[in-house]
Amino acid sequence: MSAMIRLASLLRPASIAPAIVVLASVLASCGGGGGDACAGRLTVYSGRTEALVAPILDRFNEESDVDVCVRYGDSAELALLIDAEGDRSEVDVFISQSPGAIGFLAGRDRLTPISDATLGLVDERFRSPAGLWVGLSGRVRVLVYNTDLVDPATLPTSALELTGPAYRDQVGLAPTNGSFQDFVTAARQQIGDAETLAFLEGLAANGAQSFANNTAIVEAVGRGEVPYGLVNHYYALQARRENPDLPVANHFFSDGDIGKLILVTAGGVVATSDQSDEAEVLLQFLLGAESQSYFSQQTLEYPLAAGVAPSGELADQPLAGISGAGGDLASLGGELETTEELINQSGLGR
Amino acid sequence: MPTQSRPVDQGEARRALARRTGSQGVRGVRGSRLVERRAPRSLITASIAVAVLFAAPFVYLVWRNVELGADLGEVLGDEITHTALRHTLTLAAAVTLAATALGTTLAWLVVRTDLAGRRVWSAILPLPLVVPSFVGGLALLAAFAPGGLVAEVLQPLGIETPDVRGFSGAFTVLTLLTYPYVYLPVSARLRALPSSIEEGARALGRRPFAVFRTVVAPQIAGSVWAGALIVFLYVLSEFGAVTLLDYTTLTTQIDRAKLFDPSAAAVSSLLLGLLALACVSAERIVTRRRLPFEAVSTAPVRPAPLGRWKPVATGFMAAVVGLALLLPVAVLGLWTSRGLTGDRLGGDGVGSEGVGSAAWNTAWVSVVASVVTVGLVLPLAFLAGRYRSRASGPASVVVTAGFALPGLVIALAIVAWTLQTSVGAALYQTFPMLVLAYVVHFGAQALRASQVAVSAVPGRLDDAARSLGARRWRRLRTIDGPLMLPGLVTGFGMVLMSTMKELPATRLLAPIEFSTLATEIYGNAGDGFYARAGFRSLLLILVSGVLTWALVIRPQRPPELVP
Repeated sequence: MSAMIRLASLLRPASIAPAIVVLASVLASCGGGGGDACAGRLTVYSGRTEALVAPILDRFNEESDVDVCVRYGDSAELALLIDAEGDRSEVDVFISQSPGAIGFLAGRDRLTPISDATLGLVDERFRSPAGLWVGLSGRVRVLVYNTDLVDPATLPTSALELTGPAYRDQVGLAPTNGSFQDFVTAARQQIGDAETLAFLEGLAANGAQSFANNTAIVEAVGRGEVPYGLVNHYYALQARRENPDLPVANHFFSDGDIGKLILVTAGGVVATSDQSDEAEVLLQFLLGAESQSYFSQQTLEYPLAAGVAPSGELADQPLAGISGAGGDLASLGGELETTEELINQSGLGR
Repeated sequence: MPTQSRPVDQGEARRALARRTGSQGVRGVRGSRLVERRAPRSLITASIAVAVLFAAPFVYLVWRNVELGADLGEVLGDEITHTALRHTLTLAAAVTLAATALGTTLAWLVVRTDLAGRRVWSAILPLPLVVPSFVGGLALLAAFAPGGLVAEVLQPLGIETPDVRGFSGAFTVLTLLTYPYVYLPVSARLRALPSSIEEGARALGRRPFAVFRTVVAPQIAGSVWAGALIVFLYVLSEFGAVTLLDYTTLTTQIDRAKLFDPSAAAVSSLLLGLLALACVSAERIVTRRRLPFEAVSTAPVRPAPLGRWKPVATGFMAAVVGLALLLPVAVLGLWTSRGLTGDRLGGDGVGSEGVGSAAWNTAWVSVVASVVTVGLVLPLAFLAGRYRSRASGPASVVVTAGFALPGLVIALAIVAWTLQTSVGAALYQTFPMLVLAYVVHFGAQALRASQVAVSAVPGRLDDAARSLGARRWRRLRTIDGPLMLPGLVTGFGMVLMSTMKELPATRLLAPIEFSTLATEIYGNAGDGFYARAGFRSLLLILVSGVLTWALVIRPQRPPELVP
């Protein structure tokens, strides 16, 4: 108590400003310099969460001559940050959870083209046509359903059926979430703006319920709050990994249906990077056999390169059949404002 | 002066004095702090510097709108903007009313009545402030949504749980998590207030509630207002719970447009900023007339007997703590336990490796940020509380209103400003820069609490000491320091807990590879790693509990109660 009083007595108005300056400089000296924190290392901003990618980045540190220095965050926020940093950015590689966020940076000229040697590791469906980013793993859009409430024999073959009376008030989706926005962009490229809008309006008119994000939908489907949800396949698998009793399962729509689209996680090299060679080494490592096996077996996603096969239930859904029948995922990230307008216009998420 | 024997009526006396001497004040009159002295120039300079710092995000927002050529008319004319605006204001007003009532009631019960276990309650009641709102929202859904843990138990009994999504869910979660913003300053104020008048009123046969209404309420009004405004601004900026519970507000609109329609996001952010400035200015006008009370006491407090209401009061406290704290803790515990049994992605299921450094980072940066924040806003609190200065009004408004801006906006504003110069760039993403971001984000909480603290020092005490020859430093040590301590510690505590759960600024501005519990909680929850998120959330509540107890509750323990 008396110590606190003595402390408080130091808080004299006139002495505060210098005290703050002193304190700040002490902190600056013990907090380490900003730009130097990653000196000699490759700076990575990762929109993919630490639990998913840190293990494979640790392997990269062991295997290669390059060490990485990583900031984890939300893909959209990190993309905005790299954009705000502009010419002063010291980031070398951006790893994005979704094509939308990295497409945003591509559209803002914040990425530098990747070499053909790296791009060539994946099918052209999974990379930017301008060579600005490359897919690293894939998540496919599915219908998640509650296994206690739904007879698997009655599941739809097309997402378009979800606008029908059988699904009135039965479907959960996340209209303001990045993955749904990316899904709509992909759908636009496949069936055009007019039909996409009609589909979204159909969902809204059919009482589709909106949720914050994929995990919230899977939780709600698990509780039985809604029987169905439009999500990426990853979330039900992860939810069951932690809670094997959760009554949720993924249902894949038919090959070629707009409901069965693949959304890639992607990597790109930031335009201001002075270590673009090392950056390519990292991207190539992430597309190598070890990383792709890791994505297949540990993060439960589609591997995109090195001939690695998908594992678990994905093994029955070969990549060749997905992709949204030639949907040009490469241009995802362009014209995204229209996507946002269509979702708004449809009345979803109000 | 006859009023000197009636300490709580100082305000009235000063008003009378002010009337007699005209609106220009009572320069040099002993016994009054009102407009008595010209502020020292250093104090004015420091206050203006602080205000400039806090104005930075607002200036950034204006610049951003201009840069993007944002079409204000189009966004403002959009129906969804009207919905968002209406929702934002409705939610903020409703939560403010409820949290203010709740926080004030709890403070009075804990500090002034003979409720059992007051010391335990006083340690637990501030803690909901540290529960991240999206964690609170997740817990509410897990328990009360159709098919949820509690709903499953109640349904066979024929009890339908209320709809927890949309307004009702957001209202419930935010009220339960924000009442400490009112509880903390009000309980600090009550502890410093003499109980003799209350005792007198009780001796004359007034019931506890009547005593509260007629005697206590006028004395704590300043602290209640201070807390209420903070709650209101917090709800304006709130993002986690409203998103999760699907309630469209200005912040959700900013979020959905931030990448794909940046100019719409810029307009919504500016709208939020202007709304905050307007509300804070309005609050100043409404409360300007009320002068700070000056009654303080270190005399023993005689608790008001609750009589047959005691079980009711205890049940009420238990219900609040149960919903606001135990329910989230139970859900978090369940998630954590699943990580220990289920299939795992490497490690031990809850990802305990490295969690120690995240906990340490959280504690360390929060304590530093809270001390710096209180220190930085104190000159402004002195200026506003003790002197008449044209600078203090606008400066206070800017500092306070900044709290309504979402953390992401503040973080991006700081990025834009610091990278303008090479000096700033050298500080970019360093520890001091992160602390600066917290200061700008949470300065409002410290300012309000500090203003209450400054006003808690009776001018006549200081003046008496001066006339007896005590120098400034000695007066601060023996008079101002001890009397201001409860208020300052309250501000410190609120900033501490806000910082511990802060997310967007931490993610963007922390030194690279510097993770906190909050960043790890959110990152893990977003990809379905609930066991890891739950484990870290429990740790966050534990760490904040220990820090709050050691640094906030214990130092301002009330004078020993008379049994």
